[in-house]
Amino acid sequence: MRAGVRTRNESAWLLPNDGTRTNHRLRRDMRRFRDDDEVDLVIVGCGAGGSVLAQRLARAGWRVVAMDAGPFWDPDTDWVSDEAGSHDLYWTDPRVITGDDPVPLGSNNSGRGVGGSMVHYAGYTPRFHPSDFSTLRDDGVGADWPFGYEELRSYYAAIEQELPVAGEYWPWGDPHGYPHRPHPVGGNGELFLRGAERLGIEARVGPVAIANGRFGNRPHCIYRGFCLQGCKVNAKASPLITHIPDALAHGAEVRADAMVTRVGMDERTGRATGVHYVRDGASRFQRAAMVAIAGYSIETPRLLLNSASPRYPDGLCNEFDQVGRYLMVQGAPQTAGRFDAEVRMYKAPPPEVSTEEFYETDPAKDYKRGFAVQTVSPLPITWAEHVAAQGHWGRALRDYMSDYVHWACLGSLCEFLPLGGNRVTLADETDSYGLPVARFAYSQCDNDRALVTAAQHVMEDILTAAGADEVITIRRYAHLVGGARMAKDARHGVVDGTCRAFAVPNLYITDGSVLPTQGSANPALTIMAVAARAADQLISGARGRVG
Amino acid sequence: MTHVPAAAPGPQGRFPGFAVLRQAPRWDGVTALAIRSRVAPPATPRFFTAAEQATARALVGQLLDQPHDGLGVPVMEMIDARLAGGQTDGWRYEDMPEDGQAWRDTLANLDTDAKERFGAGFAACARREQAAIVQAVQDLGSRDWHGLLAGQVWSLWTRYACTALYAHPAAWDEIGFPGPAYPRGYKNIGVDAREPFEVRDTRPAQDPVRERL
Repeated sequence: MRAGVRTRNESAWLLPNDGTRTNHRLRRDMRRFRDDDEVDLVIVGCGAGGSVLAQRLARAGWRVVAMDAGPFWDPDTDWVSDEAGSHDLYWTDPRVITGDDPVPLGSNNSGRGVGGSMVHYAGYTPRFHPSDFSTLRDDGVGADWPFGYEELRSYYAAIEQELPVAGEYWPWGDPHGYPHRPHPVGGNGELFLRGAERLGIEARVGPVAIANGRFGNRPHCIYRGFCLQGCKVNAKASPLITHIPDALAHGAEVRADAMVTRVGMDERTGRATGVHYVRDGASRFQRAAMVAIAGYSIETPRLLLNSASPRYPDGLCNEFDQVGRYLMVQGAPQTAGRFDAEVRMYKAPPPEVSTEEFYETDPAKDYKRGFAVQTVSPLPITWAEHVAAQGHWGRALRDYMSDYVHWACLGSLCEFLPLGGNRVTLADETDSYGLPVARFAYSQCDNDRALVTAAQHVMEDILTAAGADEVITIRRYAHLVGGARMAKDARHGVVDGTCRAFAVPNLYITDGSVLPTQGSANPALTIMAVAARAADQLISGARGRVG
Repeated sequence: MTHVPAAAPGPQGRFPGFAVLRQAPRWDGVTALAIRSRVAPPATPRFFTAAEQATARALVGQLLDQPHDGLGVPVMEMIDARLAGGQTDGWRYEDMPEDGQAWRDTLANLDTDAKERFGAGFAACARREQAAIVQAVQDLGSRDWHGLLAGQVWSLWTRYACTALYAHPAAWDEIGFPGPAYPRGYKNIGVDAREPFEVRDTRPAQDPVRERL
């Protein structure tokens, strides 16, 4: 199976095997395109979606430039094994949050630089369930995708091999196995498994995109616990090491530190002509026969709105006021339990054990859809936020914090529903490029709130069953999807089922913003699978390159 | 029985002899550099005015029970450095100004409250008077405090204060966290499993929750 992976994605074998993490020669020898050279495709954003698209199309012989606003990371010199020192991994340009339930951005869900948010995601890579693709038809909530789970199955399996994903056989959704065996678990995972077993709740180790054993030239995980700070080991998957090396080897250019400011349009033909961007303080324009936006759920809508012009006065692709809407976060309450034993949850990767027992709609409940429960293992700064959320300050805060080694911590992902009012618009405030910043409004509905409460109770039960004598919860959020969703027509979304914009025939969106629903799954794997599917359709149809 | 504060430093604390910085030779170079610069004497504040510095120092002293903890973590200076460098969290509440201005405004509001209640600026008040003012802000919850939502002000203060303190190795010593772990990693994972360099909690039953019941 591994040999099979290598024939279609050689990234892991293109990394060095001498204890360093970056193939500098590959980057130095990278093909470079001139701005006035009309490339086949320019991609905006080198995260989960953009990087997969770049790798697939470069392999198919397309001339591809992939831009990212942030740096082309070198894990050896750019990343530290430290929480506060990892601040540069996040998108920290100004953004405004509002609504009844404003959602913090930055470290919580927004990456910057080649690899995107997957550089600092925990590493969980569950598939969506088949039911996620038709929640409106089956449950009367959410939305239906233009295609079903079956369309994504082979792409899920392919990406799981490329990351690769480690975990036990997965009994939920569409049951499936994983290419790598499950990792050993630390104290936090051990207590989750113990509590779940005592309650008769099925739980499994995985699924995490962390190599268990060598994979190509990527080494084994060292159970360091700093997954959310960028993996200095090259054990945890991010596109920086899983797709970008192969893309470079096949002639793609990665143009880092390049902030795209607007999509260039031919106002007469209505076709995209390339992208305006700023690099080293200079405004430039890259010509391209096709543009793919992959800036994630905040920056993708913002770029479309900032690309307004006389022909598109309300922003690009926004004729029906769909851009920025139906943006979703997952409710992610985090419940911790106190044990006299030492848990030391900072040891081992935060992603260890999950249950999807509560994922599907339960007719006995008064809410639709569901939630997943997973281990999370906050480091001290994030843990202090959890403790401070209980209202503690001063001496009480310090005493609680001194108790850190005794706490285990679980997190839920609750399927918040897509709502039209949860959206990105432009604020009056501008950023250092002079562009209006994103304003992100979020308000929960009753179903959302019911899920959070139910998930909190399940986590409290699991930890108590494991022996915890006290449990404390912080209500927070995780992930972003939606904001430029797929739909059957332009009145209900921004792109069609192939990720092509309804309004502009040679404009694609290939990131998490196209997802119509989110399930209770961490979105990275699905974003990659959707991008891989879109790439296949482009390669076979080559639409947009002609005509 | 004499109550020893759980978070007492050094031999009084729960992890006697534990000293994160002793592991520094086993850290990778860039991480070691980042931590060394963090424990070096702090730069002179560039963002806060002299008056704001005094108020901010008193505020974080309340929020984190400083400075008599003996750790010497320069939290006010660390916050000042972040604000001077524009290192925000990447978002702000719509009803709040950007972080730097929000700090200035809320420090001024503390002084206003202090003068009204105790006839002196916040920094000049007695610690118990400062505590009463801080508690009053927290008690407002989602209500208005000088034109801002008190809960959002509380979020700003505690985020910056906790991020500074728990970035510091002296605070890690106090809570038993070994800090950077590359390229060393961990070999003994699981409940009650320790590495040779980790120190067992000497008071595992000193559960702050249980004591407060």
